This record gives sequence, structure tokens and C-alpha cells, in this order.
Amino acid sequence: MKLLKRLIDWIDVRIGVREVAEKELTGYLLPRTINVWYSMGSVLLVIFGIQVLSGILLLIYYVPDADNAFKSVTSIMNDVPFGWLIRMCHAVGSNMMVLVLLLHMFSVLFMGSYKSPREFNWLSGFILFTMVQGISLTGYLLPWSQLSFWATTVATNSANAIPVAGPYLVEFLRGSKLVGPPTLGRFFALHVALIPLGMAALIGAHLFFLKRTGVSTPPFGQADSTNQWKGGSYQYEDHPGGIPFFPNYALEDLRSVFIYLALFLAVVFFDPYLFFPKDAFLPANPLVTPAHIKPEWYFLANYQTLKIFPNELIGLSVQAVAMTFLALLPFIDRGRERHPLKRPLFLVCAIGGLLLWLGLSVWGHYS
Amino acid sequence: MDDNGRRKFLGICLGGMAAGLAAAFLYPVYRYLAPRTNSGAVAKVVIPEKDVLEGEAKFFEFAGSSAVLVRKKGGELVALSAVCTHLGCIVQWEKDKQDFICPCHGGHYTPDGVVTAGPPPRPLAKLPFSVANGAITVG
Ligand code: HEM
Ligand code: FES
Repeated sequence: MKLLKRLIDWIDVRIGVREVAEKELTGYLLPRTINVWYSMGSVLLVIFGIQVLSGILLLIYYVPDADNAFKSVTSIMNDVPFGWLIRMCHAVGSNMMVLVLLLHMFSVLFMGSYKSPREFNWLSGFILFTMVQGISLTGYLLPWSQLSFWATTVATNSANAIPVAGPYLVEFLRGSKLVGPPTLGRFFALHVALIPLGMAALIGAHLFFLKRTGVSTPPFGQADSTNQWKGGSYQYEDHPGGIPFFPNYALEDLRSVFIYLALFLAVVFFDPYLFFPKDAFLPANPLVTPAHIKPEWYFLANYQTLKIFPNELIGLSVQAVAMTFLALLPFIDRGRERHPLKRPLFLVCAIGGLLLWLGLSVWGHYS
Repeated sequence: MDDNGRRKFLGICLGGMAAGLAAAFLYPVYRYLAPRTNSGAVAKVVIPEKDVLEGEAKFFEFAGSSAVLVRKKGGELVALSAVCTHLGCIVQWEKDKQDFICPCHGGHYTPDGVVTAGPPPRPLAKLPFSVANGAITVG
């Protein structure tokens, strides 16, 4: 203990770490009414870390080549000691990440935390959301199974609906007329390099914006739950008399992380194939399309939307409009009220939208 | 005080769980990364006798490493590890000089593996072999 203190003293007189710890940890005060939803971001950071680590481990044995990809994944599952564990953590983790991400977004929505001055936080978060979708889509192809091959064929094909440029865009996405070895090359580069690096950069930006605006006060349990931001000049939202991030809220973060890990490992150990339809176990065959080819659960609503409109362009446009609306929400909803129950229009739209999304997903699943 | 006591207790529990979980995952990750060498470690290598001509050397893989068979002028057979005893490069056979040279730092060996020049500290390791019915069995 004495030795540890002397070591910290030695470092402290040189770079002043105690001052940083005081400012960022023990002296970083959060609202007293802060709730569990504020820990979703930390859970997401942990998930991102697990995905990066398990992904690097998979890279050791995975072969990004159409002739060998499926074989290498099968060998990771069957031959490499604990390969199944690493792969299942990565595959299950990707699904869980989308789930937690949706919870994070919903909590930001319902607590009105996207409102001024947090537009940058929302926008960087929204880009992260699209990147998570992109990294899932590109990762799906890598095992080169029947599922990978045909899900990618259908997904890339939807760009065909775009007028004029559509057919060329599809070929550009695939690197060839049909999904094939060139597609694997580009999806691999996107999945293991470009998108993860981009996500790391955006997570950095996301946290930077959070630091500059300060954490929002939850709208619950307050007489006045309107947005206190004045505008006009920069203003950090501080919380005098609040609870310190360390140790108080860090412990709550950690508790959420452990609840997450319990759920995550329960799936990994007791139902690892929860997210695997049987076509995931057959090697890709470009000449045989399997009967029921479906995307992952979080793309089912998009899939069903494309199906219900007689014209693909309409289906695609509807989705583009919905995504743009969501991205620009802080600029559209400019009301000062943040409590969900005092925002009836918002509440109806949000719950309606959620039900629509759920309904389309279930419909997509059973259609 | 009471509140801080509970917080400390929670911290120790969660920290302990984190440490336990990390340790539990360390073993699988170690096993995942550990080299899997037992494949073919004791396997013998059989080479037809006619493949090794007089004054020539035949290189082959043996026990996960490189080995060489030489038939010296006069017909005597020698089986050696081809791994240079200096820093582990693979030696080359010089037919004209009837010796081994290591390209990395210029070590020289006789066909029996004895060092004649350069930095190698030890002779090339000899490998056991037997000859029967026109086939050489190394190992
Ligand atoms: C990889 C994905 C993401 C990570 C790692 C991440 C991480 C975080 C972290 C650590 C925080 C601070 C703690 C908290 O309030 O939870 C935060 C806050 C926030 N995030 Fe995210 N986030 C991600 C995606 C998103 C998305 C998709 C959105 C919305 C489109 C979003 C919007 C916000 C907003 C508005 C805040 C500020 C909340 C407040 O101050 O009350 N984030 N994020
Ligand atoms: S490694 Fe052979 S001489 Fe140095």
C-alpha cells in the first residue's frame, strides 16, 4: 500500500494524475436523480470492447477467401480449442449490441436528452447506429454460408430500386455482377478495418460532445422538467451537489455491465444458436437459393417494408424518409418539455413508431 | 458511513466478480492461442533410397522442422537436422564443395554436420534412421 502510494506520488508530481482523477472521476458530479438508463452507454462501450477483442482472436484462424472461409469457420468451431466460445461471443455479442443500442436510443428519446444543446450527441449517436448496422451486414457475409451468401444477395440487390444509378451501384457494392469472391474481399475490409476504426473515432466524438455539454438531468421527479438550456452562449450543464461519477455511478455502471454479461453469457452457453437459422450451417452455393431466406431480426422491418410496397423504390424511399426523420429529430422537435408524459404528441408518435417497427418485424418473421 | 460501507462491499463484490470472470476467460484464450504441435510429432518419414543420389542431399520436413539426408561420396548415408545451430536458419547443400553452408552468417558444416567455419557453436543434430527394402525410414 505504501509502495503504491509512493508510485502514484512519483507519477503525480510529474503529470498531475490526481488532478485529472479529481476532475474526471471523484469531482465529476452527476445529477442525484440519475437512473439506470444512463448506464447503457457504458454497457455499449464494454460490448464494443468485447467485439473488438473476440474479432481480433477470430482473425487468427479465419481465412477471408471464398474457397476457404466456410472451412476455416467450421474449423474454429470444431477443431481450435475454445474456438466455439470466441466465435459465439462475437456472433451473439453483435446481436446483443444492437439490442442495447436500441435501449440506449429509446431512453434518450423518451427522456428528451436529444434536445438542445445535445444535437451533436444525437447525430454522432445516429451515425454510430448506422455503422453498427453496416458492421453487422458486412460481418454476416464472412462465414460464407448459404445464409451469408443469399442474405447479402438480397440486401445488396435492394439498391437496384434506385433510379438510373441502381444497377451500377449494386455491382459496385458487390465488386462483381453477382455476390462472389470480390464481395467477400470488400466486405472483409469494411468489417475488420474501416467500420471499426470509424466507430472508434465516432465513439470518441460522442463522448467528447457529452463532456462538453455535460450529462442531462433526468426529466423525472422534478416540478419543472423543461429544458433549461438558454442558448446564445456556451453553457456547461453542471450538477452542484450531485453524486460523484466515481465511485457512486461507476458502481451502477458496473452493475448494469454485469446484468448484461449474465444475459449475454446465458445465451452463449445455453442457447448459442438462438440467432442462427439452419442455412448458417451449409456452405454457400451460388446455384441453389434456399427456401426461406431472411435477414437478421433487426433488419426484418426493413425487409418487410420492401415487400409490402408494390414498387421497390417506394419501399426504399419510405425507409430513407424514416431514417432522415430520426436523424434530424432534434431539429424537428424543438419543444422545451422533456418529460415523456407531458409530451403527448411525441409519446403517441414514439409508441406508434415502436409498435409499427415491432409489427413489421413480426410480420417479416412469419411471412 | 453506513452508505459508504455498503458501497465498499458492492465494489469489492463487483470487482471480485470482474477479476474472476477475467481469469475464467484467460484460460480459454490461452488454449485458443497455444500452438497445437502434437500433430505428427512422432511420425516417421519414409524416403525411397533412389531419391538420395551419391554426393547429393535431400531436404524434407521432419517433426515439424527441417531435416536433410546426405549420401556422401562413397555411399554412406547421414540424416541431420537442417536447422543451423547458430540462430536457426536452414542450411544449404553445396554439391560442388560437398559441404553445408548457412546463408545467414556464413556457417560451414561437413556432410557429417561438423562445424568447419563461422559462428555455429555446435554440430548439426544427428537423426536416427534405418534402411530396409530400398526405403530410408527417419525417426
Ligand atoms: C456504439 C454505440 C454507442 C456507444 C458506445 C455510446 C456511448 C455513450 C455513452 C458512454 C454515453 C454517456 C452515458 C449515457 O448517457 O448512457 C452516451 C450518451 C448519449 N448517447 Fe450514446 N452511444 C452509442 C450510440 C448512440 C446512439 C445510436 C444514439 C442516438 C441516435 C446516442 C445518443 C446519445 C445521447 C443523446 C447521449 C447523451 C445522453 C445524456 O446526456 O443524457 N448514442 N452514449
Ligand atoms: S544462423 Fe546459421 S550462421 Fe547464423
